[in-house]
Amino acid sequence: MATKLPKRNVVFIGGGLTAALAARQLTAKGVEVLVLERGGDLRESAAAKIPSQRDELRWGVQNRLAQDWAVETYTLRHSPAEVSLPVRRMEAFLPGEGMGGAANHWNGQTWRWAEYDPVLRTRLENRYGKKAIPAGMPLQDWGLTYAELEPYHDLFERLFGIAGKAGNIKGEIQPGGNPFEAPRSREYPQPPLEITEAGEIFAAAAQRLGYKAFPMAAGNSPHAYTNPDGMKLAPCQYCGHCERFLCEANAKASPEVLLYPMLLERPGFELRLFSHVLAIDYDRKAKRATGVRYLDLQTGEEHEQPADVVVVAAFPMTSTKLLLLGRIGEPYDPRTGKGVVGRNFCYQVMSHTPAFYKDRSINPFMAAGASQTVVDEFNGDNFDHSGLGFFGGGYIYSNVTNGRPIGSRLVPAGTPRWGTKWKQANADWYAHAFNYSVHGSNYPHRDNYLDLDPDYRDAYGQPLVRMTYNFKDNDYRMSEYCTKKAHEIALASGATLVSPPQPRRGDFDPGIYQTTHVTGGTIMGADPKTSVVSPHLQHWDAENLFVVGASVYPHNSGYNPTGPLAALALRLGDDLLDYSGRPRRL
Amino acid sequence: MSDDLGDKSNERRGFLKRVAAVSGALPFTGGLASGVAVASLTAARPAAAAEGAAQVNAVVGYNSLSPDEAAFVETLVNIMCPADEYTPSGVDCGLAIYIDRQLAGSFGKGAGRYLRGPWPQGKPQHGYQLPLTPEQHFKAGVAAAGQACQTKFGKSFDQISGADANTFLREVAGGKVSDPELNLASWFNELVYPLFTQACFADPIYGGNHGKVFWKLIGYPGLPAVHSQNMTAFRGKPFPGALDPKSIQDFS
Repeated sequence: MATKLPKRNVVFIGGGLTAALAARQLTAKGVEVLVLERGGDLRESAAAKIPSQRDELRWGVQNRLAQDWAVETYTLRHSPAEVSLPVRRMEAFLPGEGMGGAANHWNGQTWRWAEYDPVLRTRLENRYGKKAIPAGMPLQDWGLTYAELEPYHDLFERLFGIAGKAGNIKGEIQPGGNPFEAPRSREYPQPPLEITEAGEIFAAAAQRLGYKAFPMAAGNSPHAYTNPDGMKLAPCQYCGHCERFLCEANAKASPEVLLYPMLLERPGFELRLFSHVLAIDYDRKAKRATGVRYLDLQTGEEHEQPADVVVVAAFPMTSTKLLLLGRIGEPYDPRTGKGVVGRNFCYQVMSHTPAFYKDRSINPFMAAGASQTVVDEFNGDNFDHSGLGFFGGGYIYSNVTNGRPIGSRLVPAGTPRWGTKWKQANADWYAHAFNYSVHGSNYPHRDNYLDLDPDYRDAYGQPLVRMTYNFKDNDYRMSEYCTKKAHEIALASGATLVSPPQPRRGDFDPGIYQTTHVTGGTIMGADPKTSVVSPHLQHWDAENLFVVGASVYPHNSGYNPTGPLAALALRLGDDLLDYSGRPRRL
Repeated sequence: MSDDLGDKSNERRGFLKRVAAVSGALPFTGGLASGVAVASLTAARPAAAAEGAAQVNAVVGYNSLSPDEAAFVETLVNIMCPADEYTPSGVDCGLAIYIDRQLAGSFGKGAGRYLRGPWPQGKPQHGYQLPLTPEQHFKAGVAAAGQACQTKFGKSFDQISGADANTFLREVAGGKVSDPELNLASWFNELVYPLFTQACFADPIYGGNHGKVFWKLIGYPGLPAVHSQNMTAFRGKPFPGALDPKSIQDFS
């Protein structure tokens, strides 16, 4: 029996980045917020303290900060015709647990997407013709423009002290920045991180080929920084323990450093930890969410939490699951192409080309999660796709984020897997190699979607989310093309050895980490027939229900998702302020 | 719990000497040699490795492995990590202890692994799909590989020559050794091999990488990794801290 609790104003499901950013806007204006988070507060835990924080095995290999797959995993089939099996231990992407969510263990790589990304379908149709987009690729515009998001990007970059070099200020291309950047109102709040040796090699090679290299914008703070809220970041130590780790130096811009400590001091803000949300209560007749049900993991009690407004702010898989469980919105059906919940599930398409430098010390252990040098010539629609047979692309970069020795040792192709020659190769090349990587897009496919698995259940007895997902021809061709470009840069770099290009091939394998960037499932759009939420992130079938997070992206670009995710969350905060004053369809 | 190795331990010690002889290195004796001078580590790499070699793992006794399983694992780590100019033998580097402790601990019991049925077997991308815990799976594989070795050579894995054992492992990894029930290539590549590389490169607190020997080998400086000044001072230059890595124990 669930205990019914007193009604609250705005209740967020999931205590990650998006909930915190929206709550910042709301609580500043006196709107009461309750956040339900399944995990705990890790700030004083072994994950955040020296020496245990530097334990690669514990955090970097066994992924102890990520979701516990024994409790809840996802099932996979590569096509609608196959039978799904559970991924018994997920390596491909790493949802977080605890106050701050996955944004605590991120690398800090921060992008605004291209100006055309929110209007990608229109852009491609205008450039390549109405019939250019294949029927099986359900790209759609977001129903909003980059210009609407720009002030929120700007605010997020200030709040998180993002370190970078502007490439385009109000339409003026800036030397040293990304010439493909969407126009921004002003420079980044902090200068870029130090360039690594790999970055210098990469930039010189890129320049030889006529590309414009620039430092990646970073959430790793190069200097002491105080944000507009008075919250502080310490200088980054380039320790190489960012992604999969908490930052013990308080130098990585994260919700647990910059947002929750501030929110917890604000009147009207409450965070309930160890609260696992089981369901959204939905009044089908009134078309309203009435509240949420959750399990208090510390008492075993189930609670019913009534709310004026419910915001689903979880990882994309969980947000999609809660809508499917509550039967809120029509589930997507790949046979008909109809329905909305679960559609346009996307991931990312990574590839790597290792290069080796006998006489250059790369020292990969001195790096931050975003201390990389990048070219953007082959991302998205930054280049002409006429006759190429695919859409999308990726940025190419000197991929040195860490030198953690279990996971980050590069040896030349053909090296034996053990024995004296294996040791020799590790000794020779560990400090003298890096990857030329492609961070590639993944556009939606009609057959890639999420629904509830018919057979497998989680530890709470609820169905697992089923991924019907595979890479498609568009992805293989994109990866082939962009990986060749990365390989050409490596060849132009004066390397002792360059491995052959290794584009993404074969079926999706959840045992191989690519990125934690899964998107879609509850996508936004202007048409209720093809979207779950409106461009204001308001559910089409429940005026007081909102969804925020990467689950609202109609496609996944070749950029990291955090920037627009944060901008959308801040904008949602302002929209919810407006809505709370005068509830209506926004 | 400590592991009573009985008479088998003598056989294994004999084996260790054989492996050492095959690879041209001396067997390592003596317990933990403490106080290796930092300055000596600035010498050329083989000398540094020799210093590390003086520090052999002194931890003995298994929490999970039976004597027969221990003989298999010790043989395996000594083949995959022979004593040579780079490191002492796998056993002396603590690699068997690492594997044993992982199997005995939460990893071996299946922590973080979804363990609900049904249990149909899927495509390779579905990964490991057996109800066996990693510890049970590891041991089932040791038994199956041991049986295959017995069939092929008429001897147990720890009794065949080092060259034969190396070839045998390569055949297991390459899917050329079959067992009626277990997929031995998956067992080796997805369970044994990751444990081997972790044993080499994880923090020594877990029992492997004894004396940080593998970190010294590759030049990983370990903790505390406070590099904001080093980023500019040692950009593109060899980092001296890599010669004297620090581990969790050094900061505890």
